[in-house]
Amino acid sequence: MRFLPAPLAFLVLISALLAGSAPLLAKEKDPAQEITSQLICPCSCGEVVSGCICETGMSMKAAVENGIKAGKSKQEIIGALVSQYGEVIRGAPKPEGFNLIVWIAPFAATLLGFAIAWLVLRRMVRRRSELATAAAGAGSPAARGTMPFPAVRGLEEDLDALRARAEKELRQMKQGREA
Amino acid sequence: MSELGRLSLLLGFACSLFAVGSIAWGLRTGLSGPLRGGRRAVWAVCGLTVLAVILLERALLARDMSYRYVAEHTSKDLPLHYAFTSLWAGQEGSLLLWLLILSAYGSAFLFAYRKRLDPFYDAVAMVIAAVMVFFTGLLSFVSSPFRILATPPPDGMGLNPLLQDPGMMIHPPILYTGYVGFVVPFAFAMAVLLLNRSGTRWIEEVRRWTLFCWGFLGVGILLGARWAYIELGWGGYWGWDPVENASLMPWLVGTGFLHSVMIEQRRGMLKTWNITLIALTFLLSMFGTFLTRSGVLTSVHSFAESNIGPWFLGFILIAATAATALILYRKALLESENRMDAIVSREGSFLFNNVLFVALTFATFLGTTFPVLSEAVTGTKISVSAPFFNRVNVPIALTLLLLTGAGPVLSWKRVTASVLKRNFMLPAFLGVIAVLVALPFGATGVYPLVCIFGAAFVITTIVMEFARGIQARKSAETGALPGQVVSLVQKNKRRYGGYIVHAGMVVIFLGVLGSSVFQKEAHGPLRNGESLKLGPYALTLRGVTDHQRQNASLTTAIVDVQRDGKFVATEHPSKAFYSKSQQPMTEVALHTTPMEDLYLILGGVNEDGSASIQAYINPLVSFVWVGGLIMVFGTLIALSDRMRLRREEKPVP
Repeated sequence: MRFLPAPLAFLVLISALLAGSAPLLAKEKDPAQEITSQLICPCSCGEVVSGCICETGMSMKAAVENGIKAGKSKQEIIGALVSQYGEVIRGAPKPEGFNLIVWIAPFAATLLGFAIAWLVLRRMVRRRSELATAAAGAGSPAARGTMPFPAVRGLEEDLDALRARAEKELRQMKQGREA
Repeated sequence: MSELGRLSLLLGFACSLFAVGSIAWGLRTGLSGPLRGGRRAVWAVCGLTVLAVILLERALLARDMSYRYVAEHTSKDLPLHYAFTSLWAGQEGSLLLWLLILSAYGSAFLFAYRKRLDPFYDAVAMVIAAVMVFFTGLLSFVSSPFRILATPPPDGMGLNPLLQDPGMMIHPPILYTGYVGFVVPFAFAMAVLLLNRSGTRWIEEVRRWTLFCWGFLGVGILLGARWAYIELGWGGYWGWDPVENASLMPWLVGTGFLHSVMIEQRRGMLKTWNITLIALTFLLSMFGTFLTRSGVLTSVHSFAESNIGPWFLGFILIAATAATALILYRKALLESENRMDAIVSREGSFLFNNVLFVALTFATFLGTTFPVLSEAVTGTKISVSAPFFNRVNVPIALTLLLLTGAGPVLSWKRVTASVLKRNFMLPAFLGVIAVLVALPFGATGVYPLVCIFGAAFVITTIVMEFARGIQARKSAETGALPGQVVSLVQKNKRRYGGYIVHAGMVVIFLGVLGSSVFQKEAHGPLRNGESLKLGPYALTLRGVTDHQRQNASLTTAIVDVQRDGKFVATEHPSKAFYSKSQQPMTEVALHTTPMEDLYLILGGVNEDGSASIQAYINPLVSFVWVGGLIMVFGTLIALSDRMRLRREEKPVP
């Protein structure tokens, strides 16, 4: 755990950051904003209503606030607005019928992608171990790295020896420099 | 003058056609003459495009209203610098800017490889020229910026007020430098397939071009976000608007490629996948231009809608078909050289990372185009907007964040249990602690907590990587910690530049988390002297004034801001009425601190003299911009790396 101090510093940083904004985090989100942030202004501005300042948007905000004051539920308020302006004001389409596709497809694609990646990887791993056994079965020593053939394996041993020598010389050089 | 402009574009079209034909002939016959001729033609297109741009700029600056483009996008009272930048305010000018950057890339490419005699580089130039054919053709025959009005109006229609912002002067050119640049990696990939080239030398070159464009695209996206934040006045910086999505998609796929390219370089695997990603990045950047310019989807960016949509769609289809056909035809070339050792390895994590990047792109693509599709099938108009993307893209992005932490601590080839334990324990531990620390501060919900865990995890792994690198070099070097970090980064700029980019991304995630989940809002009509409470702030209206600017009149509310009872500043949210458009524009007042932005909008002045004030507290927004700067810094470090070719082919004589 000798690297602990540095990550700890970052932890302190992250906590400080959260502490700094703590007063803001303490309160719950305004219920009106929770509804208006799910709606789109039907006029040409196309903004999310919570951030919209055009006339239509402002009147929708007022409708939501009045609805909350009258004790209506979120569904009732949204339902009333949808019947007035149409489905287009829902920021995300209702997950039913044809529109289910847009909700399911991204996650389905992600899972499918993971499955394919897993299968491809497994095939690649298996093919590699088959290669290794085949090489071993042919009488050569157990395959190392990516070079299953004896001649190449010899070459690799040479390379290892060379590398070791180079590293040794480098160390000596560095020691010489420090001294 | 307009004839000269049209002529230069027409000549550019001819030169691009000649370049494609001549290089193709040269490649077929092996003659060097046609190759040289083709290269020169690419240079010529660049020169002709520069001429066309100069001519159009001259007309814009002189407000020559006989040009339709000038009359539609400028006015006589428009400040000079906005007249200059109205080159990219409309469709024809934007296409001309596209072509300018494209031809500049073509020339830069030829210049960079001027000493290489390998015909491979001519083939790359040929693909770039083929894209030039499309754009010069479009500008010559379909959407000419040099159209003349029979009776010039006395004054123009003016520039869209949204575009009259300093951010708009640099956002489009920088974004386009990213967008258009993906032509070069695409051209490399196509040339490899056309010439049946093996070897991985090209992939290192492509990586650098891609990194360059990717960096510019990222900066362009953030500048766009910054512009939206200041200019659109809805309290946020990213609205999942179709055109924002259009610029995000090539960036996402490009990011995926920048990761998986490492596997190809190190292990010679995933070649088909990488070429597919390159092609997809280019096609998506073309699709982005199509979305912006076709008017298929309503968007704040569709300033000019017109008939070029089918042309773009046709070009994208042709390019996609050609790329797919070539990839299938050269399947043998793209065989993997190596086999995997284990699924849980860095290669494996990169593949999963790629799946997530592509899935994120797919979700964005589907969501962006779905309203069109749904209306065609069901007949009902629907919206797919921020509320959708926040529910679908956010979990995928968070998974990606977690993987960002996992990837670097997995070793190449194979991971042993002890390595796994050593590398994962500390980050996971600190991640849990960060979550525990965050809980009492009101961070609730799965996504915020996962985000906090992921952020702490990733940052810890990055710090551990740096620490380990320094540890390993300790025997060789001594000195102060900053010096050691610098020398470590210099040793492997690609790796540590990448980690710095990751750190920047984490900072952006935290900024997004803070400003989206913890945003606070208050609004209401205020009379003089009345106050609005918002969190620790009290906003007091001190008065409303009117004044005149060069081409607009402004109504400004004077608002005193107090935080916890102490006076902080006087802010001036305004509404501007531009003389030409007559639609009111919001001029946001921002009070920025490192931890939060106070964001004030003047909704309007009511009949009873009260001012409608809308106010937001956006926590941690500055993190988004700072994170962007960190990412740019990391990208620059990674780019500065000298080519280190691990698996270089034999040099071509």
